Amino acid sequence: MKSADRGILSEHDLKKTSNKIVYGLMCVVILVMVFSMLYPICMTLFNGLKSNQEVNSFPPHFFPQEWHFSNLKDAMNYIDLPMFLRNTIYIFLGNMVVTLVVLGMSAFSISRMNVPYKRAIYFFFLMTLFIPATSYMIPNFVNLKELGLLNQYAAFWLPAGANTFYFLLLKNFFDGIHPEIFEAARIDGASEPRSFFSIAVPLSIPIFATLAIFIFSTAWNDWFWPSLVMHSEEKYTLATAIYKYVINVKALNTNIKFAILFIVSLPPIIVFLIFQKFIMRGVALSAVKG
Amino acid sequence: MNQTAVVTENPATLKGTPYKQNRWKKNFWGYMFLVPAVIIFIMFLWVPIFKGLLYSFYHVDFVKGNSFAGFENYSRALSDPDVLTALKNTGYYMFLCLIIGFWVPIAFAIMISELRKFGGFVRVAAYLPFVMPGVVLYGLWRWLYDPVGPINALLGTMGVDQVAFLTDTRWSMISLVFMETWQQFGSGMLIYLAAVLSIPRDWYEAAEIDGAGIWARIKYITLPSLRNLIFLMLILQIIGTSQGYQSQMALLDGGPNNTTLTYALLIVKYAFTRLDYGTATALGMLMFIVLGGLGILQFKLNKEDY
Repeated sequence: MKSADRGILSEHDLKKTSNKIVYGLMCVVILVMVFSMLYPICMTLFNGLKSNQEVNSFPPHFFPQEWHFSNLKDAMNYIDLPMFLRNTIYIFLGNMVVTLVVLGMSAFSISRMNVPYKRAIYFFFLMTLFIPATSYMIPNFVNLKELGLLNQYAAFWLPAGANTFYFLLLKNFFDGIHPEIFEAARIDGASEPRSFFSIAVPLSIPIFATLAIFIFSTAWNDWFWPSLVMHSEEKYTLATAIYKYVINVKALNTNIKFAILFIVSLPPIIVFLIFQKFIMRGVALSAVKG
Repeated sequence: MNQTAVVTENPATLKGTPYKQNRWKKNFWGYMFLVPAVIIFIMFLWVPIFKGLLYSFYHVDFVKGNSFAGFENYSRALSDPDVLTALKNTGYYMFLCLIIGFWVPIAFAIMISELRKFGGFVRVAAYLPFVMPGVVLYGLWRWLYDPVGPINALLGTMGVDQVAFLTDTRWSMISLVFMETWQQFGSGMLIYLAAVLSIPRDWYEAAEIDGAGIWARIKYITLPSLRNLIFLMLILQIIGTSQGYQSQMALLDGGPNNTTLTYALLIVKYAFTRLDYGTATALGMLMFIVLGGLGILQFKLNKEDY
């Protein structure tokens, strides 16, 4: 069908010269947008490979005149990147496990099990969405301090299970699985935990992947909260360490600074390019619920 | 047939177990699955929320212990001239985010939906800044906004005077909003794009046959179809920007001359610079009172999703 191919514009519209000009202008605007998106990102890479003198020269060059790959090695030596990377990975893995176990089970229970007062319990989880996070940020910190969790990974792992937004994503996903599957399992004598672990979990790999990407990007990007909760250097996450030792330091050469920034932004970009489809769908899922 | 036998073997009647015990057994796993989440939600969400209410009336002192302060925290917060500055700045920031940032993803979603080729590439490019870590963004844009950075070089070739984007009090907030728009519009754009693409193409066909021009089609078909989503995104943006503090803190630490000191940043400063957790909590409670209504509005708007 021809009508399926068209957008707002039809083939017929594009035959008119005035429309062609508008369409051309639109393409130019998009081109400018793409350029302004990619230019700063490419600059991060190229600045990291220039000599320090060249980075600070005015007006800036796009490509380096000499390629200084040794900058990357200097960047690795400037701060203990592997240690900060390890801390970030710890937090990511712990958060992932807690989210899947705690929120996965509760979402499954609300979605597919018989629980009296289900609405009330559901509302108990949901209510927290309407309280702006910043308004209880300070009491949250005080609370962690009083629980004696400061400077411990548990201060990230345990609260990871208190994420209403991930809970909703999981619940909506379980709602979409046909209930007949679980009925059949029950008739065949499967216990409830069994039908969760052997049926619901394998079916939920796509939503787990989406969650993994969200949790990864939070663990990788968040610099502020870890800088409050962790106060010894050997427990900082990558983003916090960069904020403290790279962004706010004046004495560091700009080219080395950019080399570090490039190394740090590379993994998320690679993850994004590989899992594009998952992520794009995840965005559509997520944003509507903020 | 065996079927009759199955029917008579109803466990409740056969074993004669009391109904109540049976129900407990039936619901046992349902509750067990909920217990960890309920405990964690109480410990790490509800307790902080109620402690916020409580501690806004206390002097919080980690060494000597907390002591009751009555409304002292609130009166201190309300008499601080910085709070008024912060409120003004937050309002200005929200306003700038609306006029600079809000329409951009809508416009690009409509434009990108019309691309016949390279649509996928453009989408990826637009979303790419969103996956860059915040700290990289701060380092990068400090360099871009530098008096001798590329933006000023571009302005220089066009014959415009240099602009001190970050240190000029007139420009600092605008520069921040521009940076955040650059980073974040990609994710909003993808959401709008999904909605634009879900509009039935036949409607445009019908409108065109009836003689509607291109702008009329956008005005009377595309935008009205997006109306609910636009309204929801507006609420979300207002909720989000009213709490913004991270880029203000990382790039300028509230300066120059407090022009980027937002309300949330003031809360952070009260707590971690002045170490006055009580007043910081009181400021948080005031914020909650103002923003709570918006949260409920958002809930009403996408009720069908819950």
